[in-house]
Amino acid sequence: MTEPNQGPFAPPETLMSDALFAKGEEMELNFGPQHPSTHGVLRLKLKVDGERITDCYPIIGYLHRGTEKLFELHPFFQNVPHTDRMDYVAAATNNLAYVGAVEKLVGLVIPPRARYIRTILAELQRISSHLLWLATHAIDIGAMTPFFYTFRERELILDLFEQFCGARLTLNCMRPGGLPHDLPVGWTDTCRELVELFPAAFDEYEGLLTENRIWKKRTVGIGVLPPDVAVDYGITGPMLRGSGIRWDLRKAMPYEAYAEVDFEVPIGTNGDTYDRYLVRMEEMRQANRIIAQCLDKLDDFGGGAVMAKRPRVMKAGKEAEVYHGIEGPKGEIGFYIVGDGTPNPYRCHVRPPSFINLQSLPELTKGYLLADLVALIGTTDIVLGEVDR
Amino acid sequence: MSAIKRFLDRIMLFDLFAGLGITAKNMFKKKVTIQYPEERWEPAHRFRGMFRLDEDRCIKCTICAKDCPIDIIYIDWHQEVNPETNKKEKVLDRFDIDVQRCMFCGLCEEGCPTEPKSIWLTTKTYELASYDRWSNLYVDMDELQEWKVRPAYTDEEIA
Amino acid sequence: MDAIRQLVGDTLFYYAVSPGLKILGLLFLGILPLITYLVLAERKILGYMQARLGPNRVGPWGLLQPIADVMKLLVKGDNIPTQAVKWAFILAPCLVVGPAIIIFAVIPIGPPAGGLGPMSWFITDVNAGLLFIIALATIGVYGLILGGWSSNNKFSLMGGLRSAAQMISYEVPQGLSLVGVLILAGTMSLVGIVEKQRDMGVWFVFPQLVGFFIYMVAGVAESNRNPFDLPEAESELVAGFHTEYSGMRFALFFLGEYANMIVISAVATTLFLGGWLPPFPHLLPFLSVVPGPIWFILKVFVFLFVYIWFRGTFPRYRFDQLMDLGWKWMIPLALANLAITGAIRLWLIYPR
Repeated sequence: MTEPNQGPFAPPETLMSDALFAKGEEMELNFGPQHPSTHGVLRLKLKVDGERITDCYPIIGYLHRGTEKLFELHPFFQNVPHTDRMDYVAAATNNLAYVGAVEKLVGLVIPPRARYIRTILAELQRISSHLLWLATHAIDIGAMTPFFYTFRERELILDLFEQFCGARLTLNCMRPGGLPHDLPVGWTDTCRELVELFPAAFDEYEGLLTENRIWKKRTVGIGVLPPDVAVDYGITGPMLRGSGIRWDLRKAMPYEAYAEVDFEVPIGTNGDTYDRYLVRMEEMRQANRIIAQCLDKLDDFGGGAVMAKRPRVMKAGKEAEVYHGIEGPKGEIGFYIVGDGTPNPYRCHVRPPSFINLQSLPELTKGYLLADLVALIGTTDIVLGEVDR
Repeated sequence: MSAIKRFLDRIMLFDLFAGLGITAKNMFKKKVTIQYPEERWEPAHRFRGMFRLDEDRCIKCTICAKDCPIDIIYIDWHQEVNPETNKKEKVLDRFDIDVQRCMFCGLCEEGCPTEPKSIWLTTKTYELASYDRWSNLYVDMDELQEWKVRPAYTDEEIA
Repeated sequence: MDAIRQLVGDTLFYYAVSPGLKILGLLFLGILPLITYLVLAERKILGYMQARLGPNRVGPWGLLQPIADVMKLLVKGDNIPTQAVKWAFILAPCLVVGPAIIIFAVIPIGPPAGGLGPMSWFITDVNAGLLFIIALATIGVYGLILGGWSSNNKFSLMGGLRSAAQMISYEVPQGLSLVGVLILAGTMSLVGIVEKQRDMGVWFVFPQLVGFFIYMVAGVAESNRNPFDLPEAESELVAGFHTEYSGMRFALFFLGEYANMIVISAVATTLFLGGWLPPFPHLLPFLSVVPGPIWFILKVFVFLFVYIWFRGTFPRYRFDQLMDLGWKWMIPLALANLAITGAIRLWLIYPR
């Protein structure tokens, strides 16, 4: 693949400074697309001076599948499986963002039972995504066992998803207007068992990592992201909250059932990798809390419809446009849909949190060692399916 | 007092021993390995596996073909008069699914209006490997109805 | 045995037959099976710690897995890169494995007498046994450097140099902690050290707790194991000095690492845990029924289990933090340990 180094895609001069390079002190290294710790096909061109990284230029596009164009070919409700495959680790929140946008566009109001169930699914997905993040982050830094423990718990969550919608990873579990079917019998009991089980499991992972001096040495002070820089880049999610800014779409612009549940938003103080780790661990506990409350509310609520009355063919108005963003596990994932009077969207653009968070990687890695690079890629929590779409 | 405690923590490596304790405790807990293929994990009831067709129930409405997000269902039908009932009815010529691209999303099953459904994915079959390269990529109407459930590892047919 | 001794004569027996038999026995019945089954044990134990079973398909409990692995590595293609320095490429694995196995010549598995007839439980008992061990351990570093440099691959070179730097910088605390034991024992011969532990009635781990700890940490760093395994970490950029090796040569490097582990465990057992002595000889005299070598092997297994335990639990240190730890913490600690031990021995144990 030739990199587009000219024209509108040229990297800014500051990123590819040749001063040290010409003197022969720097080495250019390719952290290639195939690499065990880049969490996908991310290519980084690094300029290293010995061990220190002086420059980092990410090259993406190895997983581009033309998802945004694919959206334009089919009516609204058929596009939900395509959204699963963007951030394939957290499919339910992708679905939620998309169906939320379509509902805003077409003007549907979903029944309350569907709202609670969608919240439960989204929070379960948040826990599952953070568990996978923890697994890969820990194993990149060298601790092998949290990987297996987190996957053991993640299997239980995936079993829940499978009982509800039939698939474990690419869920296709939401539709514009609600849910395709109601919860199976016994789902809420299994979910409640999980809610009881999780705090002990989280304590186990924390016991292995949080106070561990080797973990702290590898993550404290690494990759400090100042809050103003984070806001300038447009970073959202745990990366932003780790730097101390209290911005969570679930509290700022509540959607679904988040206005009715009680939870806290953890923030960090220093903006380093350790703080982001603590923020994500605490988010998992808060997600657990939200699920417990929603389950109680579901019990109080009793039965009800899970799908709004919607026309068989949903048309958007001509030139109607909507943007709907939600707080996914990695940040704000949003859909900007433009309708044109037909059942198909005219344009559907995704705001991918991983893509926007990845912008900060060159800034974060300057001056750190190669061994810190893997920790930093892990802490940005990127999924290449979302970066490239 | 807390300074002494911090000093002791640093010297006595309590955090490292806590980690060692957790790993040691997990040595004696139940293991999660499933010995495939002797043990098999049974999917849930709604699991979206390999699809199956029932031609008799199908009313040839082609909703499944229209609903497919990747347009891999190819349906051809024509009308002809049934000699027994003397009524015009639809006859299915072709109902092929291109399995190369199917993502098992289940929208075809959701769209099917018959009760029970004429195309369904809840077959709990997820082992679609075969020794013949071309047999699984494109499934035509007869195969769709008559594919055998993949035999278990311990059946005599394989061994 | 006595019959053979009468047959070939004393000199030939004590200088050729007995060591020869012991070497063959040690190598083929002891070290090589132990190394290969240590690989399996690590995979199984690591699996058990990680809520999964290790290999269990090839033979019951995976017991034939090492044989399958060895067969696979034997038939793998053996490529030497075209621009590589051939003599160094071929010599490097030997320099890693050789010293590790040679050290076993001086480690006593059991008491001096009571082996098969007039053969004793060690191949030889050099007067400067400890010095021999430290010297041979240092030769192992050459193998890494040669391996990394001869591969004509800048990543291998970087990995090899890092690995060598790590090993050299942890040689010093290792040696210093051993000197602590030396002060208490008064002799460098390994058999003498174990006998001194028997005479003193206490294993050297108790008076030398800090020295033991330093030796363990330095030992883990010497054999490039987690948490000090950055030079050979799978998920790092530099794949290590053994990138270009494949087939049996790679197997030799791999075996060399495990042999190093076993050697360090064996030396730690001999020096700190009392070699072949049973625990609590006065309180539980019935334990002496179990022969010495069994105790030795049990103690070595305890150390190996601790090695695997560390691998399963801890993250990795970054390279500069590793070197920091070695030079700024281990060495002053070892020197302090040495000073205190020396003072105690001078004024308390043997006051003039």
